[in-house]
Amino acid sequence: MFESCLEVRQLFSDYVDGQCDREASAAVRFHLRYCEACRAALDSLQAVRAELKLLPHRRVPEDLALRLRVQLSQRLHRNLLERLRVRIENAIEPLLVPASTAVLTAVICFGVLMASGSPPRANTPDVPLQLATPPRVEALAPIDFNTGDQGLTLLTHIDASGRVLDYKVLSGQPSPGLAQMMLFSLFHPATLFGKPTEGRIVLSLRRITVRG
Amino acid sequence: MDLAVDRTQSLPAVASEASLVAELQAGSEDAFAYLLGVYQNPVFNLISHILGNDSEAADVLQEVFVKVFKGIRHFHGQSSLKTWIYRIALHEISNHRRGWLRRRLRETASFDHESHEETAASWREQAGRTANPYQVLEQAERQDLVKRALADLPPVFRAVVVLREIEDLSYREIAEVLGIPEGTVKSRLLRGREMLRRRLGSILG
Ligand SMILES: [Zn+2]
Repeated sequence: MFESCLEVRQLFSDYVDGQCDREASAAVRFHLRYCEACRAALDSLQAVRAELKLLPHRRVPEDLALRLRVQLSQRLHRNLLERLRVRIENAIEPLLVPASTAVLTAVICFGVLMASGSPPRANTPDVPLQLATPPRVEALAPIDFNTGDQGLTLLTHIDASGRVLDYKVLSGQPSPGLAQMMLFSLFHPATLFGKPTEGRIVLSLRRITVRG
Repeated sequence: MDLAVDRTQSLPAVASEASLVAELQAGSEDAFAYLLGVYQNPVFNLISHILGNDSEAADVLQEVFVKVFKGIRHFHGQSSLKTWIYRIALHEISNHRRGWLRRRLRETASFDHESHEETAASWREQAGRTANPYQVLEQAERQDLVKRALADLPPVFRAVVVLREIEDLSYREIAEVLGIPEGTVKSRLLRGREMLRRRLGSILG
């Protein structure tokens, strides 16, 4: 038995979570049968809990989801780029070409599966990925342009025949060279159940300058 | 009856978690993309409700996943992946809060104005869809009151209430996430719930 209502209310939080042992639960229930004030207090506690559960669930906005995805890809491929740079430096060195630079545009890309207007499907794990494949790069046009120190990240929309429909610069500075490169580059379209379809791909371009 | 059952069926089962972790540690991009797909929304929801601000939550969310990408090599399954990620999130929230508090004090006026407009807009949107605008107004007002009451809770109580009532974590998971004993979880939850009840009970009645 409880000395006071205060004592029983100390148990309410555990009680609603099913954390009271059998004896304490029985005692709470017994008290509630006779105490209207505590019944009202428990009801209002439950009402507050129900309201908290009803608060709308916040979802990641589409642009933030894309930023997270790009951030991930850049992080995973950074090491790869570093290794690539070392390899090229090693390969070029024996030529000993003074005061000349070799230029390479390195590409990181990942497909984003999405129908126009809907959120990036590749971020939802319930899509069986083998039934849908993102677009792939076949060949980037060999056009040299300055990507800046930070590189360029593009969201590129590829149609069912592998042509670039449009692209959006997510980070970095666009340039005429970029537009030209996008025009002459080749892509494999995305597929859905084996059929070519529209799709989007994120390209991350970075010019690596290799000194002779 | 145990009411504190795990209601997170959408998250990967424990059996497959070890193989997911192995793939993450091997640097598989697919595994990381999957991880983002599973956790970005729940973690964003958590951060957003604790900070009470979506744009602040966006910054913190990016930091959280940077830490997750960097730290996965040191994850040895001492806890579930979920509690490990939530712990990183709570840590980033408290890192962020110091600077955030200062900014919020400066921007209180504009912040209140903005959130009021947002509520009004969502009310108009909802009102257009239903037959009884009075009901909708009441619900929107109630939600606004609940959000404000939650935001006014002292941070230590707010974190526990959000993890339990909104994220459905068990006492043990909350203890792991916050790095505090289960007894402390219980007492904070009791006090947090009581503060909310005192403030909202009569209105929600
Ligand atoms: Zn009583």
